[in-house]
Amino acid sequence: MLAFPFTAAREPVKHVFKFRWLTRNGEEYSREMKKEEKKKYPEVWYKLDLSAIVYPTLQRKDFSSVYRLSVLLKEPVQPDILQEAVDRVLPRFPTYKAAIRKGLFWRYLEPNHRPGPFVKPDINNPCMPMPFKTNNRYLIRFYYYGRRISLEAHHSLGDGTGGMCVLQTVTAEYLRLLGAEIECGGYVLDITKEPDEGELEDAYMRYATSKVRPPRPKERAYRVRGTKEPFYTLNIIDGIMPAPQVLEAAKRYGATVTEYLDAVLLYALLQHQLNTPHIGLRPVKIAMPVNLRRFFPSKTLRNFITMVYPGIDPRMGEYSFEEIVAQVRGYMRYYLNEKFLRGDITTNAATQRNPFIRLVPLFIKDFVVRRFYTKVQDRNSSAGLTNMGVLQVPKSMEPFIERVDICMGQPFSNRTNCAIISFKDILTINFASSIKETDVERYFFRKLVQEGIQVKIESNRNKL
Amino acid sequence: MSYCVNCGVELEPSLRECPLCNTPVINPRELEKAALTSPYPKEKGQVEQVKRKDMAILISVILAATGLTCGLLNLLVIRAFAWSLLILGACLVIWVLFVPVIIFHKLSAYLALLLDGLAIGIYLYLITFVTGNDAWFYGLALPIVLWLLFIAEIFALCIRKLPLSILAAMLYFFSTIGILCIGLESIIDWYLTEKITLVWSAIVLAVCIVLDITLITLLSRKRLRDEVDRRLHF
Repeated sequence: MLAFPFTAAREPVKHVFKFRWLTRNGEEYSREMKKEEKKKYPEVWYKLDLSAIVYPTLQRKDFSSVYRLSVLLKEPVQPDILQEAVDRVLPRFPTYKAAIRKGLFWRYLEPNHRPGPFVKPDINNPCMPMPFKTNNRYLIRFYYYGRRISLEAHHSLGDGTGGMCVLQTVTAEYLRLLGAEIECGGYVLDITKEPDEGELEDAYMRYATSKVRPPRPKERAYRVRGTKEPFYTLNIIDGIMPAPQVLEAAKRYGATVTEYLDAVLLYALLQHQLNTPHIGLRPVKIAMPVNLRRFFPSKTLRNFITMVYPGIDPRMGEYSFEEIVAQVRGYMRYYLNEKFLRGDITTNAATQRNPFIRLVPLFIKDFVVRRFYTKVQDRNSSAGLTNMGVLQVPKSMEPFIERVDICMGQPFSNRTNCAIISFKDILTINFASSIKETDVERYFFRKLVQEGIQVKIESNRNKL
Repeated sequence: MSYCVNCGVELEPSLRECPLCNTPVINPRELEKAALTSPYPKEKGQVEQVKRKDMAILISVILAATGLTCGLLNLLVIRAFAWSLLILGACLVIWVLFVPVIIFHKLSAYLALLLDGLAIGIYLYLITFVTGNDAWFYGLALPIVLWLLFIAEIFALCIRKLPLSILAAMLYFFSTIGILCIGLESIIDWYLTEKITLVWSAIVLAVCIVLDITLITLLSRKRLRDEVDRRLHF
């Protein structure tokens, strides 16, 4: 075993501190030394950030807000080396090497010194529920399958950007252990350095400074209805396409790739609504997380996103595809600016700042938040879409990576979630749904094919 | 390399049918396709189970121990009267009330209510050993328990099977309260005087009927219903 302070023992160790503070030279720590260490590294804990508060309340027996990021390498993954890399990297991310606990008024994260997380062979149903007390209380999982390394993380730890930092740092360390020279930069953090304060902050509170609080959108949107799959099923359809073709198609309409793909999804949802029996029409809206780091400088690895809801209202008349693109483009360019987003954050932060709300016991908060989410927030949109954009990796890492995938995870209600990422010339669109029907996906990809984009489909819906 | 004839998308070689439209992939040139590895593993994952039984065991053991020690104490030390039966009954009632919460989650609500009623009935019956007279039990306690049980089951049925909103729930609640009071006064009157003359329960029923009519009006008029929704939303 390597002489490294953070090498995890593979079997569960009875003594917690043994796991944490042993193994550099194999010495057992005495009680006094332990006390000294405790003084040196005081037990820290982290408040949940503003959006992380919501996710644990939605936790059900068959649902957790878990997302997945995968990186497809060019060589098969070696599990023991991957484990080594995970063990080395994770202490650099204190908010990911954490367990979630309940207080009287709020939940919080505390450092987790239990053994793990251990890398496991991948499974057919990604993003399965993550009860907080299982998996040695870790809220992240690492999987390998063939050439693919996957990270699954609970959303209360951080958003996709934070998760991507963990995954890329692990991948870089894995490649380094195999002999490659990978420099740090971008998403790859330097594991020899101490974590930066800014990486652990709740950036929402710093920027929630607007003087007015714009109201939240409240209109009910069209909801896709379908046959629910049994527990432990998540249907994935992955569309892989050349990024330049998508960019070219988007340019034809004068839109960005995100705006264009948003419009295609709206079009697919609209087609679905029109082609299923209905009495009245409802507006079609997409819940789209926006990475606030683009607008407010922050290094945080925790959640720093807010939702926008581009949509169209078919009750106002028939929409052609061009009109949908124009509508989305207008909406995005109007709303996505620092001022509007600041107002949005302030609205969200107001509830958490209210001293009366803060004094309410957690179980009542849970009840109210869950009710609000199921009755208002969840009905606000017909589908979810996230675009992580063009992924940057250090130059020296590029030749080792073939593709990157993200999956938004199980949707809260019967619908489909769409996640987009591109790496070099490959753009991947991942649909995750827990219903049997694939109509939305079919309309979506057929539209892309009609637009002259070459789409390749992968799926775990393969009945073999 | 195959394309779906229906969707026009290229399909990953291991796919046997298009995941979008379920059209089978038949490539006449590659009829005997070797089994290719899918980009997704076949094995399904399962979440570790969180142990919830600890609490159930703890509560069962505490209640059993309480009953047992009190029984022994009654038999051997304080032998004035059968007081331990009261504690034993109370333990039984508490245990039965906890069953659906911590031990058997899938217990149907109706059965759980039935068991609760049964436990309370047994408890009251145990008390007759202490009072030495069981006329009150058969005349008053048992009918009241049965009536309460019946009403509770009906209420549960309404809540679960009929359309539910805050207003509808209030409607069911007030209706059952009115009927419950009528039954209670009848049982008490019959036990005391063998004659049924309704007084206080009639007043309760009248109030409940007024409330019910109000609620039905609110429920049947969309404009009023929306108004209530607006004013009472949370």
